[in-house]
Amino acid sequence: MLTFSRRGGVHPAYHKELASGLPIEPCPLPKRLEIPLSQHLGVPAAPLVSRGDEVSPGDVIAEAPKLISAHVHTPAAGKVRSVVQKPLPGGRMCDYVQIDVDEERTAAHEWSAREVDLAQVDPQWLARTSREAGIVGMGGATFPTDVKLSPPPTAKLDVFILNGAECEPYLTCDHRMMVEHAREILQGIELVHAAFGFSRVIVGIEENKPEALEAFRREAKSFAGMPLEIAALETRYPQGAEKVLIESTTKRVVPAGKLPFEVGVVAANVQTMYALQQAAYLGKPLGERVVTVSGAGIATPKNLRVPVGTPIAELAEHCGGFSEQTTKIVMGGPMTGIALPSLDYSITKGAGGLLFLTQHDYPDESPCIKCGSCVDVCPMRLMPLKLAAFAKAGKFEEAKATNLADCFECGCCAWACPANIKIVSWIKYAKNYIRVKGI
Amino acid sequence: MSNTEGFVLQAAPHAHGRASVPRIMHAVNISLLPVIVISVLYYGLHVLGLYAIGIATCLATEALVKVARGRSWRSILDGSAVVTALLFVMVLPPSISPLLVVIGSAAAIFFGKEVFGGIGHNVFNPALVGRAFIAAAYPVQITTWTAAREVFGFLPPPRTLSVVEAATGATPLAAARFEGTTEPLIRLFFGQTAGSIGATSVLFILIGGLALTAMGIVRWRMVVSFLGTVFVGTGIFWLIDPGTYANPVFHLLAGGVMFAAFYMITDMVTTPYTNTGTVIFGAGAGLLTVIIRLFGGFPEGVMYAILLMNAATPIINRMNNRVFGAEAAS
Repeated sequence: MLTFSRRGGVHPAYHKELASGLPIEPCPLPKRLEIPLSQHLGVPAAPLVSRGDEVSPGDVIAEAPKLISAHVHTPAAGKVRSVVQKPLPGGRMCDYVQIDVDEERTAAHEWSAREVDLAQVDPQWLARTSREAGIVGMGGATFPTDVKLSPPPTAKLDVFILNGAECEPYLTCDHRMMVEHAREILQGIELVHAAFGFSRVIVGIEENKPEALEAFRREAKSFAGMPLEIAALETRYPQGAEKVLIESTTKRVVPAGKLPFEVGVVAANVQTMYALQQAAYLGKPLGERVVTVSGAGIATPKNLRVPVGTPIAELAEHCGGFSEQTTKIVMGGPMTGIALPSLDYSITKGAGGLLFLTQHDYPDESPCIKCGSCVDVCPMRLMPLKLAAFAKAGKFEEAKATNLADCFECGCCAWACPANIKIVSWIKYAKNYIRVKGI
Repeated sequence: MSNTEGFVLQAAPHAHGRASVPRIMHAVNISLLPVIVISVLYYGLHVLGLYAIGIATCLATEALVKVARGRSWRSILDGSAVVTALLFVMVLPPSISPLLVVIGSAAAIFFGKEVFGGIGHNVFNPALVGRAFIAAAYPVQITTWTAAREVFGFLPPPRTLSVVEAATGATPLAAARFEGTTEPLIRLFFGQTAGSIGATSVLFILIGGLALTAMGIVRWRMVVSFLGTVFVGTGIFWLIDPGTYANPVFHLLAGGVMFAAFYMITDMVTTPYTNTGTVIFGAGAGLLTVIIRLFGGFPEGVMYAILLMNAATPIINRMNNRVFGAEAAS
């Protein structure tokens, strides 16, 4: 069993049993899709369609204007109703393309299987295929995959890691994908391997997902051409954070402030590799993803294959609705997800979970007792209590000098804090302040 | 499918562990039960009254200050004032008058905690501030000792007392320092000796202290570095001149060292929070204890050693951990 350094990380209540045994089901197509044009890190895509346009499944409806961006495709056929401005989860405003779905035409559409000659696959082909399919990191960070797969010429990539840790509580979408689609995922990895020729291809899965490990061990036999290692990882949050995962599996430490390619590693999420396989072998762009709908507030938790742009109200309804006890709706996982004020949002490429939480006790912050729990659990070995105190006091320069930028907001500190200090919120506040004011 | 009150919009994480400040404080209080029981057996039921007086005074003082400052008095429910009260009473002589318990408890909470703004903000260990206050104001009462009742009959008899000792009830540390006699170590281990109400019964301190260590509330690095420094420091002098200096095991078992190791230097608020910081603090407090015990004017030096290191804690806490990947980046 592999794991990261002795220090850091927490063991939250996982609640995975709510959905881990449930096979992926398709979510019915909604009458209307509302597709946000910013489902990725970077510049929002620019709309190519306007009111009245007819679209078919897989059509590009918005184009990436810059390198750090991604195309957006429609998963269904229909007619563009309008392009409107609405908030994304988190509050930033964004263009949404509303499409009145044509069910018949969508059902009639078929993706055509195609051959891929692995000998012809090179990094350029890989980047082009990813870009044309609008593929972004589906583990939540939504970084454009073509950019990730285009390292500077000086970088020598020798290790690939499939990030199948899925360390966030509740979420089981990657788990189900690995159990049900290990072959396709490995085919996706095979493409990346064909382009880069890795010396190690590591599949990293937390050991609380034995069926997923088993599925990969079984399928690995058909991929003898790859230097595959199926690695069982210790179940410890945030095992799936990229830098943490790289340390766990390779013992390589990504330098502070740098990207994984600096240590010759490229890591990718399970569903990202599935999306790459679909793009390469079916010509199918990224237009759907698997989402775990869970939490004590939802009637029947499910793992749903959801077209991107599906309003979350549809998911709630398909899962039997949520109870009066629901106090919080979260897009993503409970450790890093975003709380929503209403159901007026859509599923995006990075949304792995939709949680209906019933927690009723939201205690206020009390003074920090300097217990050091946050210091102990921080996987980046930061001093979260200092960062929070600096942010509260408006001492942003000091926060910056105390390595604020190295925090990736996993939430371990706030989870462990006995004084209920909203450490991550304070850190985000400091980061935003510094970004806006240019400190 | 509606929620008329709206949904909670707090930012991530949306999950929280079981840790809470009251939980920590209650755990400390519960862990002190063995010491409370043995102190009653050694010194009589009136000790229970002293605990009660201490607790009542600490709670009342904190509540009064909070109300005077226009804050909610409910903070007293977090258990921290009870911790202060118990620790304070445990480091007093058994014959202390109830009035001094009231004065000292009030001083502990007021000067030790509330003048800084309450829990989390204080620099010095409140219980030790209370004791230092009493030591300065009532030097005779705080150094008048009574021997514990013989509870454990299987223990060897105590050292032979000199006439002076018998009259003043000197502690083993004072005897070792000024008379050159040492109490049998096994008696010290049980606390079957003259000393503070709760701070000398090593065995019973260890029961609760090790439980807290297992729960992660006590940082073991601090305990090890403190005890290790006391052991090595007193050991060096004992090796040089065993006739003048007591042996290092005696120094670990006598006086307040063991109590301090698990209950005083481990006060989270007034001690460092990084691993390196805890080791520095423990070593510093240990070194100062050795110096005061062997060369100072008092036979016992734990209290001042800790208060001095409390003052150094903010400086120690200025150190930052080296972040993940810092070595690789440089």
